Amino acid sequence: MNSIKRFLAGTAVAAVVALAAAGCTAANPGGSTGGGDAAWPSPTAKLKGVTLTLWTQPATSTYADQVISSFEKATGAKVEKVVLPDDASQLTKIATGDLPDVAWWQPTGSAMSVLLPSKNLQSLDNAPWLPKLDPALKDVGVVDKVHYAAMVSTPSVLGMFYNKADFAKAGISSTPTDWNSLLDTAKKLKAAGITPFYEGGGDGWPTQWWPQVQLAESAKAGFWTQVNQNKESFTSKPMQDVITRYQGMIKDGLFNSDILTATFDDQGTHLLDGSAAMVLQDSSAFLGLVNGKLNGQSVDDKLGWFPISTDGNIATTIPTGANALVAFKTGDSKKEAATRQFLTFWLGPDYPKYIAALKTASIQPAVPNPEGLPAINGKIKKSLSNSIGSMQSLAAVNPDLWRNLQDMLNGGKTPEQVGEATNAQFDDLAKAQGLPGF
Amino acid sequence: MTAIAESLGIRPQPHSGRRRGGARLRQSQLYPSWLLWPAFLVLFIFFFLPNALNFVYAFTDWSAFKDAINPVGFDQFSTLLRDNLLVSDIRTTVIFAALVAVFQNVFGLGLALLLEKDTRINRTARAFFFLPVLMSALAVGYMFQALLRPDGALNQALTFLSGIHVDTAWLGNTTWTIVVVALVNAWKWTGLSMLIYLAGLKTMPEDIIEAARIDGASWWKTLWTVRFPLLAPAVTFNVATGLLGSLNSFDVVQATTQGGPARSTEVLNIFIYHTFGSGLFAQATAMSLVLLVVVAVLAFPVIGILRRRENVL
Amino acid sequence: MRARPFSLLRLVQPTVVVLLTVLVIGVPLWLVFVTSSKSQAEANSPNLKLPTSWHLFENLATAFTDGRIPLGFFGSLLVMVPAVAGVLVVGSLAAWGLARRVGRLNSVLYGAAISGIVLPPAVVTLVFLLRQLGIAGTAPGMIGVYMGMYLGVVIFFITGFVRTIPIELEEAARIDGARPLTIFLRIILPLLRPVIATATILVCLYIWNDVFYAFFVLGGGQISTLPLNLFRVASGALYQNNWNLIFSYVVIMSLPLVIVFIVAQRRIVSGITSGAVK
Repeated sequence: MNSIKRFLAGTAVAAVVALAAAGCTAANPGGSTGGGDAAWPSPTAKLKGVTLTLWTQPATSTYADQVISSFEKATGAKVEKVVLPDDASQLTKIATGDLPDVAWWQPTGSAMSVLLPSKNLQSLDNAPWLPKLDPALKDVGVVDKVHYAAMVSTPSVLGMFYNKADFAKAGISSTPTDWNSLLDTAKKLKAAGITPFYEGGGDGWPTQWWPQVQLAESAKAGFWTQVNQNKESFTSKPMQDVITRYQGMIKDGLFNSDILTATFDDQGTHLLDGSAAMVLQDSSAFLGLVNGKLNGQSVDDKLGWFPISTDGNIATTIPTGANALVAFKTGDSKKEAATRQFLTFWLGPDYPKYIAALKTASIQPAVPNPEGLPAINGKIKKSLSNSIGSMQSLAAVNPDLWRNLQDMLNGGKTPEQVGEATNAQFDDLAKAQGLPGF
Repeated sequence: MTAIAESLGIRPQPHSGRRRGGARLRQSQLYPSWLLWPAFLVLFIFFFLPNALNFVYAFTDWSAFKDAINPVGFDQFSTLLRDNLLVSDIRTTVIFAALVAVFQNVFGLGLALLLEKDTRINRTARAFFFLPVLMSALAVGYMFQALLRPDGALNQALTFLSGIHVDTAWLGNTTWTIVVVALVNAWKWTGLSMLIYLAGLKTMPEDIIEAARIDGASWWKTLWTVRFPLLAPAVTFNVATGLLGSLNSFDVVQATTQGGPARSTEVLNIFIYHTFGSGLFAQATAMSLVLLVVVAVLAFPVIGILRRRENVL
Repeated sequence: MRARPFSLLRLVQPTVVVLLTVLVIGVPLWLVFVTSSKSQAEANSPNLKLPTSWHLFENLATAFTDGRIPLGFFGSLLVMVPAVAGVLVVGSLAAWGLARRVGRLNSVLYGAAISGIVLPPAVVTLVFLLRQLGIAGTAPGMIGVYMGMYLGVVIFFITGFVRTIPIELEEAARIDGARPLTIFLRIILPLLRPVIATATILVCLYIWNDVFYAFFVLGGGQISTLPLNLFRVASGALYQNNWNLIFSYVVIMSLPLVIVFIVAQRRIVSGITSGAVK
């Protein structure tokens, strides 16, 4: 008996000591105590022997290739690309203390807050590219009035891609001007034997665009601000109405029959071959997918685009992880300066070549769009002047609305339950962030 | 304590190490404690301590959003319970584990009986059935993702055989996909339980079986009344590792369905992975604590029952 | 001796066996082989047909470089070998002690030691602890984690086995004045060969194929293991439906173990069967 007691006591003491020691230190990785006014190196200064780590996701893994090889040639530095399989892996890596030097990251408040920007990210407030930026984008990537994200391309826009041949076949000569006319268009297509909408319910994440684009008018009226203050929620009428309308459209047979298993990749395939007429998607990602499948042919030959909202054509913007990068405070001042130089190079001397390689519109008024840029890109860019932010842009935190919508598609949840489940998660995240009112 | 020790098969030992007179001193000299220190040091640092820390952090608000960590009592747990997600994920995990245990043992025993004789074909077949055990769970997951697609090989074969166009989404059904994934898991591990059962079958005392056969018992009857009871240790091992191993499952499920469709195959470890990845660290640790409790609650009685059965038989 | 009437059965059994093996094991493996030999376009919708043009070596070569296979292979070995050696040495010593010692404390310790079989390690706090100790993302950290995870299994097997070794052997040596370490090395260890073989095989198998713990522990570090590399690149390939590449990785990853198995088949099978059911 005695030996057991002694043993247990000893173990307990050891455990408490260890816990105290471990618990006292901060759980989150530390950053450097960088000075306020960081120096901005010349973009082509020599950086021999410096290796920078760049984090990408599978979708964006090749986007920076041109910049990387030019930068490496110009400065002698080396840029290591690390491809992370999914979102969960990024935060996990960071929690283990491994910070990259630079990473593609969604420049919204909700997405950047998990990085504790004031602690872990370099301030880009005096960056040489900021004055050159399109004024409309001046406030993107800002948290607590400090710039943390460097925009490299136009923010993605949620809108409807359509197959021109299908529209012609169904006798549709003008694009819809509001939701009711959208439904009319869909019915005409269905009568012509074409699947009106193609949804990637198997992957699930595309489902969240439907409520969001319908909410554009409410968002302009301040819906998300109310949600952030816990005065409105996902069970409020505006959100419930749009989710129910989406569900109704599926029940009316306006979507593909294999909606439950279809993937993002399938969306591209079916829209291009005309078996479906419309796909609601995030423009950066979808254009990337479609250009990859077209193999040199211009997207204008096959597809058109229009923004859509409940009462009109307000576009919903969603800056994504394909549009911006963040620079980390790693504690190594040489590497931190090199990262700033990398971004200066990207958004300075290399910018024209970058947008040409990626076939995307320019966000610097002084730099013209690349030659032969499809008209669709121009249209998307123009929609920014009549746009409002998405949930990701305007909500304080980012719940998995899409997972609950996917449940609904599979018959596991009603719209009300979708709202409740999303509320629960929103509350958790808001509480964790310490938002007042939660 | 004694109950726990017993259920894990620890019985008080006969004092075989003692001699007459002066024996009490002997144990620390015969089997000095330095034999145990290295193992327990490793276990302490890499096993007990993390579990203990888990216990502690589950009661805080540790997250990616905040620098400081504060105690919050049972908040994390009440959040989890309120969400219903935890309860349904526990149910999913237990159902999955039960299915795996059943499949692996039924198929394992069946294969062992089928391949019992040491013929060339049998031995080759045994080796082939062991191959999946060697493959990584991730690889197995990808393989079946490809096989079970609506346009995949299984549906092509069924279409060919039946004449009707089959395009069932084997991995897309919210009710039955959990069974499919359990089958995939079983596919990977049945080779191992087959070998364990083979071992059990081969180390059986021949005389009892001969006696039964001489008495005129059929092969089937011999199996149930004589051989199966003698297989008790093998059953214990296989059921315990199958059930408890799959309560901690992640690889195969993540590789085939990632917890979908609509969370119907979301076993706890996948939920933990997503939660941690969204920045809610303390909530994730609360969940792994719950998983620990679930496993413990299931482990001790199950092993206890099986061990007791072993002793009786 | 079996009587003649069973001769029909004698034909049925092998047929059933062959059919079962081909369907259950052969078909999936065939899919892997055939798809990894196809071009990307053909492999987009994986099926059992033979490729129209063979790209097997091309795909394997791409997988080899993209997936940094040599580095991954080296990393896997780097963590597996010390972990297995460590867990066997440390585990067998402890198992011997636990098997022979008596008393309440001993029972408790034994229960605690084998609790690792049923209780999962707490991944999140484990990684956090490793960071505090400064070994997160390093080989020693990963080795420690694997040892902590699988000590329970090893101790479980070896303790059971030790209890079947007659204590008289040890007593005889003790009379001759042998010290505990000598008894262990000279008498116990040689007799433990079957169960050590079992334990080695099982632990090697678990560690070689582990991706979950490697992902969290090594996820940030310089070292990578084969399954971790497979996970990283396959996620990207999956995104683009590059099944030919995914299965090329699968082939490369499975090959080492399969080769070892084919070569040492009998040893492995007998190792598992002899050591497991005691």
